Amino acid sequence: MASSTSIHVAVIGAGIVGASAAHFLAAAGARVTLLDASGPAGGATGASDGAVSVASKRPGPMMDLARHARAFYARCEREGLFRGLFHRRSTFLVARTAVEADLVAQHGADLARAGERVFEVDRATLLERVPGLGASVCAALEIPDDGHALGYEITERLLRGTSVDIRRSAPASEIVTQAGRVAGVAVRDDLLAADAVLVAAGIGSAPLLGLGDILIPRKGQMVVTDRAGSAGPAIDGHLMAASYLAAKRGIVRDNGHIGLVIDPLMTGQFLIGGSREDHRSDHTTDASTIAAILREALDLYPPLAQRRVLRSFAGVRTASRDGLPIVGPHPRHDGLVVATGFEGDGICLGPLMGASAARLLLGQNPDVDLSALAPERFLRAEVHA
Amino acid sequence: MSSHLFWNGVPIAFEPGETIAAALLRAGIVDLGRPDDGPGGRVFCGIGACQGCVVTVAGAAPVEACLTPARDGLRLGPLPWIGADHG
Amino acid sequence: MAEVPILVVGGGPAGASAAATLVEAGLRVLLIEQRDRLGGAIHRQTASGAESPVWRPARHRRNWAALTARLGAAAERIDIRTQTVFLGVDGEGRFLFEDRRSERVLARRPRAAIIAVGAIETIRPFPGWELPGVMTVGGAQVLLKETGRPPAGPVLIAGSGPLLPALAAQLARAGNPPVAVLERGRPWRAPGALARLILSGGPTGEAASYAAVLAAHRVPYRCGASALRAEPDGDGLKVACRIGTSEQSLHVRHLLIHDGIVPNRTGIPLPAPEAAVPVLQAGDGREALGADAAILDGRRAALQVLARLGHASTAGAASLERPLQRARDFQAALAEALHSARVAPSPETLICRCEGRSYADLAALAEDASAREIRLMGRFGLGACQGRLCGPMIEALRAQPLPATSSPRWPLRPVSVAALARLTADETE
Repeated sequence: MASSTSIHVAVIGAGIVGASAAHFLAAAGARVTLLDASGPAGGATGASDGAVSVASKRPGPMMDLARHARAFYARCEREGLFRGLFHRRSTFLVARTAVEADLVAQHGADLARAGERVFEVDRATLLERVPGLGASVCAALEIPDDGHALGYEITERLLRGTSVDIRRSAPASEIVTQAGRVAGVAVRDDLLAADAVLVAAGIGSAPLLGLGDILIPRKGQMVVTDRAGSAGPAIDGHLMAASYLAAKRGIVRDNGHIGLVIDPLMTGQFLIGGSREDHRSDHTTDASTIAAILREALDLYPPLAQRRVLRSFAGVRTASRDGLPIVGPHPRHDGLVVATGFEGDGICLGPLMGASAARLLLGQNPDVDLSALAPERFLRAEVHA
Repeated sequence: MSSHLFWNGVPIAFEPGETIAAALLRAGIVDLGRPDDGPGGRVFCGIGACQGCVVTVAGAAPVEACLTPARDGLRLGPLPWIGADHG
Repeated sequence: MAEVPILVVGGGPAGASAAATLVEAGLRVLLIEQRDRLGGAIHRQTASGAESPVWRPARHRRNWAALTARLGAAAERIDIRTQTVFLGVDGEGRFLFEDRRSERVLARRPRAAIIAVGAIETIRPFPGWELPGVMTVGGAQVLLKETGRPPAGPVLIAGSGPLLPALAAQLARAGNPPVAVLERGRPWRAPGALARLILSGGPTGEAASYAAVLAAHRVPYRCGASALRAEPDGDGLKVACRIGTSEQSLHVRHLLIHDGIVPNRTGIPLPAPEAAVPVLQAGDGREALGADAAILDGRRAALQVLARLGHASTAGAASLERPLQRARDFQAALAEALHSARVAPSPETLICRCEGRSYADLAALAEDASAREIRLMGRFGLGACQGRLCGPMIEALRAQPLPATSSPRWPLRPVSVAALARLTADETE
């Protein structure tokens, strides 16, 4: 405690990653200032679905990390931090054509290899679990150990009752370094002195770290419907179309591709997404994209015809050039840690990645192997004279 | 000759051109929800803004009772209860 | 190919006046109205299409008859779509509508747009305002106009403003005088404002006739009085009221509340008269000045559009400014005369009815909370009314404007999933 009580950490970005880091830093006795250009959950954290899902992850390090991250959610739920906010639920990977069925089967095999429980579900069983499912669904897998949480609720819970000094409308403009060590953060015309800095600012991380060519904004449009019922989720699992897997596995790269997910919220509402629009960082939604998403959703789950759209919105995911997040110490500046590039996986990975970043900032080793995410792979190449 | 819609299965007469809200209120139906479940639906602003009078329509999306003309055979009921207790 | 029309949203006095002015100048108009008939809240006709039997000033009947005659005279240039709900403008500039008859969403790219969607009533929340049996005064008035029938059983009217005695008199004339009218304000404490009201040339004759009807039906009109709480009581409501310094309880079937009106601006595109597609607001949706001013304001917006499109000079517009200013002065004097200090509601008072959020939930938010936090963490403005009802309450209670969301939102109203999914291509006619 002695060493950490004396350190002041500036965390840039009050999304789920920054909030988690701030929470665990404060819990360890550090003084924490949390800066955000708008406010908590102001970026992708507040505009995403609620999938804490291993089922959707690309095979390899992301699938493994997601399993740890989901276990971290479960632990935080058990220990009280996320009580009432994290819910176990199944993910259904559904196929509507033979080609999609092959893709789903292959993905299921990859999940099983990673140690995940995967069940094949025949159409009759699936109809019992999700009454009204579309006639086009020909194959499905159930991943029973996935979960649900909303990014903004987790963010609020992580910050509630902590000693973290939250500064809203405080955009960081520069990381200030001195002799190879971080000295603070410039916020507008002021310098906030800090012993250590975490950059977890989503697409806002790019100008701070000179990662403009590495980080790509990818807009996703979504809708929320009214409530189908009053007693919790309207269907017994998260519906994920093969089109979403195709995008995640890099099989489809069309700009504007729709990776369909139907996320039944605890309120009885549905969250339906979403488009994948590269190099779009605006938050507008357009009727032709939203209508296309809804046509896909109605084909998969026709009972949505009895719902109304309450709102449409867009989130901007931050993707890195190689598709993996960037998490770890900055190779050239002591005391600077990076955690960004989570694309659509920030809600799932966020709490664990924030906790890991907190350990790094306190000079400790993280509990999981982050080597595949190391910033060196992008930042090492730049040699300063 | 009279036309009827159905509220929770009970036939309610209406006059041509009348809204669902007018027909229900004339029949003395003020509470458009289920009393055990917190505040029920109700006609409030009369201009579609408050969404308080939205009712479930069998086989279609819900509609505002205050904006929607009554139609013969329309089967209506309350919306599922709204509210923040979803933790 | 047919000429691209000017879009007018809202078939009340402002929209009808704007549309009439545009078609008289030879332009084509697409007029969108959410109800099955034009008229808006003020000129609402009966369900059968007959003139409403509800007692109201003759001036209103004349005004509406004149507007419908003007629209009828140029019927071939005006496309009126009723039962069509305006959904807003999407990120690519499409104006979106839900046609409730055909259950389709339509997209249009008009030459210009005049948005005249009227006002919404504000209320000051108290425990029980959310209960069935509680209705707005304006909502009850619209129903009365449509059906000719007053609500059954004892009725109490509470809140503030001239609409209270107006509806009370209409209900009395229709056969169900309210048990009382409780006006929150104490106008005699603002004699200067009262004097300005009387001298303003406002509808004082109208006020006198309402007063006469209330007196004839022995309806008490109490100033400095308000509804404090309502709770379910058998088939109706038990309403605790403060009248002067005493508190008393009334059993009624309906409680009608109203504390003024504000422009209905939630999600409405901001005025952009210089944009490639000029967008203007008109009527109570721009500035809540009442039905007479709305007719002038609709004309003003239409003249601005005509000037912008190079069709006419704005010469006619200047003559509209003086009566609009008079309406503004009248509303200001009225607001001053009826001003009453705002008291914070008790913590359990519901603020957002859609999502069941209380004043305690609102007070728990950080003072500098962002729009996103108020919406997502507070769940205020997230429900089906899109914050239309709780927005003005929250602004008043926090004594600061709600922070804007990052981009304009659509749909402005909840829209059927199936109808929106049927939008397959741009229809720009």
